[in-house]
Amino acid sequence: MNILKLSVNGKSHEVLVKGDEMLSEVIRERIGLTGTKIGCEQGNCGACTVLVNDEPVLSCITPALRFDGAAVTTIEGISTDGRLHRLQKIFVEKGAVQCGFCTPGMVITALDFVNKTPTPTIDEIKESLSGNVCRCTGYKKIIEAVAEYAEGITNDQLPITNETSIVGKPRPYIEANKKVSGSAEYADDIRMKNTLHAKFLRSIYPHARIESIDTSQAEKLSGVRAVVTGQELPVRFGVLPVSNDETAMAIDKVRYIGEVIAAVAADTEDIAHAALKLIKVKYLPIQEFLTIEDSQKDTGLNERIHTETKFQNNIHKKAELRFGDQQKGMEESDVVSKMTFEFEGVTHAFTEPHAATAFWDENGLTIITATQVPHYLHRALAKVMEVPLNRVRVIKPYVGGGFGGKSDPFPHEMIISHLARKTGWPVKIRFTREEVFISNHGRHPSQMTVQLGAMRDGTLMVLDADIAIDGGAYGSFGVVTTYYNGVLLQAPYKLDNFGFKTCRVYTNKPQCGAMRGHGAVNSRFATESLIDDIAHRLQIDPVEIRLKNFLTPNTVTIGQYRITSNGSRESLMKVAKQSDWKNRHGKLEVGHGLGVGCGFFISGSALPIIWNELPQSVVHLKLDFDGRVLITSGASDIGQGSDTMLAMIVAEVLNIALDKIFVLAADTLITPVDMGSYSSRVTFMAGNAAKDAAEKLKIEILNAIAKAKDIAIEELNLCNERVFSNDKSIDVGWMEAIGILVSKRGAVNVIGKYISPKLGGDFKGAGAGLSPSYSFGACVAEVKVDTETGKVKILKIWGAHDCGKAINPLAVEGQLEGSWHMGIGQAISEEMKYYKGLIVNNNFLDYKIPTSMDTPDIATNIVETNDPEGPFGAKECGEGALHPILPAIANAIYDAVGVRITKLPIKPEDILNELKRTKQTEAAMTI
Amino acid sequence: MIAAKTYHKCQSVEEAIALALKHGEDFRYMAGGTDVIINKFQGNDETNCLIDISAIPELKQVSNDWNVLRIGSLVKLDDLKKHKTIADHFPALLEAAHSVASPMIRKTATIGGNILCENRCIFYNQSEWWREAVGYCLKCEGDVCIATGGKKNCFSKFVSDTAPVLICLDAQIEVFDTDGVKLIKLEDIYTGDGVNPRQLNPKAIVTAILLPLDKDYRCVFKKLRPRESVDYTSLTTAVSIDKKGRIKIALGGVDPGPVVAEGIGMSAIDSLILQVFKKARVIDNDFYTRPYRKEMIKVFLQRSFAELGNTNKQFDN
Repeated sequence: MNILKLSVNGKSHEVLVKGDEMLSEVIRERIGLTGTKIGCEQGNCGACTVLVNDEPVLSCITPALRFDGAAVTTIEGISTDGRLHRLQKIFVEKGAVQCGFCTPGMVITALDFVNKTPTPTIDEIKESLSGNVCRCTGYKKIIEAVAEYAEGITNDQLPITNETSIVGKPRPYIEANKKVSGSAEYADDIRMKNTLHAKFLRSIYPHARIESIDTSQAEKLSGVRAVVTGQELPVRFGVLPVSNDETAMAIDKVRYIGEVIAAVAADTEDIAHAALKLIKVKYLPIQEFLTIEDSQKDTGLNERIHTETKFQNNIHKKAELRFGDQQKGMEESDVVSKMTFEFEGVTHAFTEPHAATAFWDENGLTIITATQVPHYLHRALAKVMEVPLNRVRVIKPYVGGGFGGKSDPFPHEMIISHLARKTGWPVKIRFTREEVFISNHGRHPSQMTVQLGAMRDGTLMVLDADIAIDGGAYGSFGVVTTYYNGVLLQAPYKLDNFGFKTCRVYTNKPQCGAMRGHGAVNSRFATESLIDDIAHRLQIDPVEIRLKNFLTPNTVTIGQYRITSNGSRESLMKVAKQSDWKNRHGKLEVGHGLGVGCGFFISGSALPIIWNELPQSVVHLKLDFDGRVLITSGASDIGQGSDTMLAMIVAEVLNIALDKIFVLAADTLITPVDMGSYSSRVTFMAGNAAKDAAEKLKIEILNAIAKAKDIAIEELNLCNERVFSNDKSIDVGWMEAIGILVSKRGAVNVIGKYISPKLGGDFKGAGAGLSPSYSFGACVAEVKVDTETGKVKILKIWGAHDCGKAINPLAVEGQLEGSWHMGIGQAISEEMKYYKGLIVNNNFLDYKIPTSMDTPDIATNIVETNDPEGPFGAKECGEGALHPILPAIANAIYDAVGVRITKLPIKPEDILNELKRTKQTEAAMTI
Repeated sequence: MIAAKTYHKCQSVEEAIALALKHGEDFRYMAGGTDVIINKFQGNDETNCLIDISAIPELKQVSNDWNVLRIGSLVKLDDLKKHKTIADHFPALLEAAHSVASPMIRKTATIGGNILCENRCIFYNQSEWWREAVGYCLKCEGDVCIATGGKKNCFSKFVSDTAPVLICLDAQIEVFDTDGVKLIKLEDIYTGDGVNPRQLNPKAIVTAILLPLDKDYRCVFKKLRPRESVDYTSLTTAVSIDKKGRIKIALGGVDPGPVVAEGIGMSAIDSLILQVFKKARVIDNDFYTRPYRKEMIKVFLQRSFAELGNTNKQFDN
């Protein structure tokens, strides 16, 4: 131990520090400044960046003792006297902050950069930020913010806080100041007295029987408070009632490398870690199943992964749906294109690793955890802890991104709850980045053969898909994923003959689940590739053939989806026009190409996951004498901006400024049930519930004034924070109106709700993909392909997405740009690589998220179609936008070099091999 | 989390070496430390004492005498560009330095650290738990190379991006050893053995890199990697030609050591390319496959020589 003297943000500290303590640990754990984030522990994400003597340092990989006597500036020291630094302000105003987890590092990196390079080019800005990972924004708004800061422009078009009519106007997140100044608390930032730290012992075999676990040595280690194993938590759980196939820790056998076998709670993380090494596990390895092919086969005498499955193989779920007459459709088609596709798994890679703290008191269990769905976790915890629902409270703090990866109830949440009950102390867990990768729940590796038939004039006649997806060791959302791969192909094109067969297998790998664009991303890629192929074969422009086949608004698909608003046509025409498609597609030099793709997605699942009669969303409003409206909602803001959306909707209806609104969300004790942030449902459903509540509150206010002033309510208006009559004889300000409202009554509470209409057919599987509304979109990508190396450079993306109505255009743009960025990753660089079931690229160095330098220029278009049932016409924008970008890139590669890659990610090598094959074929043909 | 009970920050080379002598084998020198610390996190380095040399002032100097450029080993990769002589004479070195990792890491990582950075392999640069699960490989005291299944050779990749360029520029390194100061040709310190990739006394400290200023090198650097930032190399190529027409090729990322070939005149190019192509022991331990990286060796080198040729018409004969 050495004494370390530091001045941190101008305040002197002397701390006793060990030789192996990193600066980040000292800043966060000793000094208590948690604005500095830990994202990857390898210096590859930049979230831990601080300034030391005015030079940026990656604090999580630099020993603290190096900096004895130094002056450290953390994000908390960037603002002065409670006022944001100008760069921070621009980050807020530009929407460069979404989940906010990368923001502290990003701000410090950018500040240092602009200090040293006062007049940077855009390329220099991109380069300077290329060591900082942002998974939300696609970098666009961050780059713009830094550019604007460097230009010294002060933004005069600031959203004025007392504005009362704000739906449709760009508005920074209501919590953005907290995030940009480092004071927003994420799960790992929660500090409670006497907290114990948990660490997990994980399986080193993909499939093995556990013969014995000896924890006795670990228990003896000083500082260890509890060691627990699977037997203690035998109750099964899973997000879907049909696949409650998981226990908190493995019992009797392990099903993937990395599955938790035992857990330790100790006074420090180091002690817990040391204790793990003292636990002795005897395994009996059994035959593992690692591929779709293996898992589809009869297992013979080998033990299945889940012995309770229906079949004598490892198939988890099979489904098949057929509409129209596919055979006839094929016969009537002039051209049929059939291809087989292969997709590697990808993962969410949110910047904030999973973290949680659990404790028990007289109110039962409280868990503060990085989750997208407090409600389902609430149910799962009650089940696994074997306590009534009213003994569980789930609180969501700020969450550093989710993208579907925080939407299951997780074993670690069960385990620390159990450890906390057993020890009587709060127990905390934070995952290493490697553990985040092991937990996965990402997009399923998939294989599919898809056929598409069309008439000579380009009319699509038939679509058939045969799909198999690799689910990993447990169910997760997999049954839904299985269906989505098929059902979501019935739009945006009119298809009278449509069908698919799909199956999900268990394998001995980390489980797959829901990820942005859930289920339909890969099959959409396949379909859009086939349309492109058919267009080329029929010599019809790929844009024209799509325009020709789009479903109209207000129609019903063959599988009985009710399509209301539909902005396909407008989206596609917009990107075609902007990219000068007509003049450039098919006409650029070799190696340079344009490609197009379209998309379709649900705007909230019409059916709840756990069948019940609850509304999909309930929002409470409370208005008391102080004139402030409190919104309580179970919806989870995970960085997508749902809290701001709720506030804007309520503000719009009541025509008051946002400063009179406070959002309290995602605390299952206090907030009414909302199903959670999945299936792109929050704006549509929680937004509608908020609107319903606000309208009721408005009537309460007007009724009170009408009664007090003896005037008909129809004569009254609520506008611009005043209540006035048409003839202006009555005109009261907000506070006066509220005074009248609460007089002799007290605070007024109202309840708004959203219940989806009855939808869909009555056949088995009809519920899959039903939604009260659907989103549509299109992308054009421009690429350059190096024909000697096969390397693809994406030059530009034009994207358009029909979100119905952008309640907050700033947030919508952020969602679209983030979706496209994530899609680029899956298209050309991201994949989950396994070696005998062990995830190999389990870090931000080897898992290739596109950096700021790999991100092209993006043209963002919001298309508005005013959905008849969405709040103010709004529908989803967070997932559907991802679909079109992947096929647009592949189709652009085809346009550039004439080869069609049917495998994701598209690797340079695959392009080269295809080029060679084409050349050989051509050579053979000329001979 | 990491195995380093003690930490020392030294102000001079002598102090560092004296400390090292006290600790036997149980220490690790650290310059920037951006690789060392992660190897320690992952349990690949279990030494108990960290000797931080990053503050030694005389190793941060760049000077220029008797036609030799002397770059202190602790000059940060990001700071190289601040020295006009380097920019004027060795732009390829700047390119190479600029291609290392990310901007943030280059503000801490040093040129000395980069030429001495540990070899890498996807089966080695993993956590302790991971390596236990996969079965330990040759580089961490196991008995088999996971990547090839072989029992003899470790093929961990040599990943320095600056070293191939420095080798092409005939760099020498100044080594402060326990028995005095020596000058060694840079390529001579690399063994080509994945387990022990460098033959340097572990207690010695590289104090400077020396580059001749009178040979009028033209040098072309290229790096293959999936992304335009952050990534370690999948293939680094450097080619140079000096005023006498002497040609040198050095590859990184495709063998446990740099792969080097030399010859005279542009006519030697084809055979030199073939030579390094055959010599490079590429295996499947990278984002890109073995055949692809092999193929790219030729593509990159041909392109590099074409670029050299374009700027060096006088050497065409």
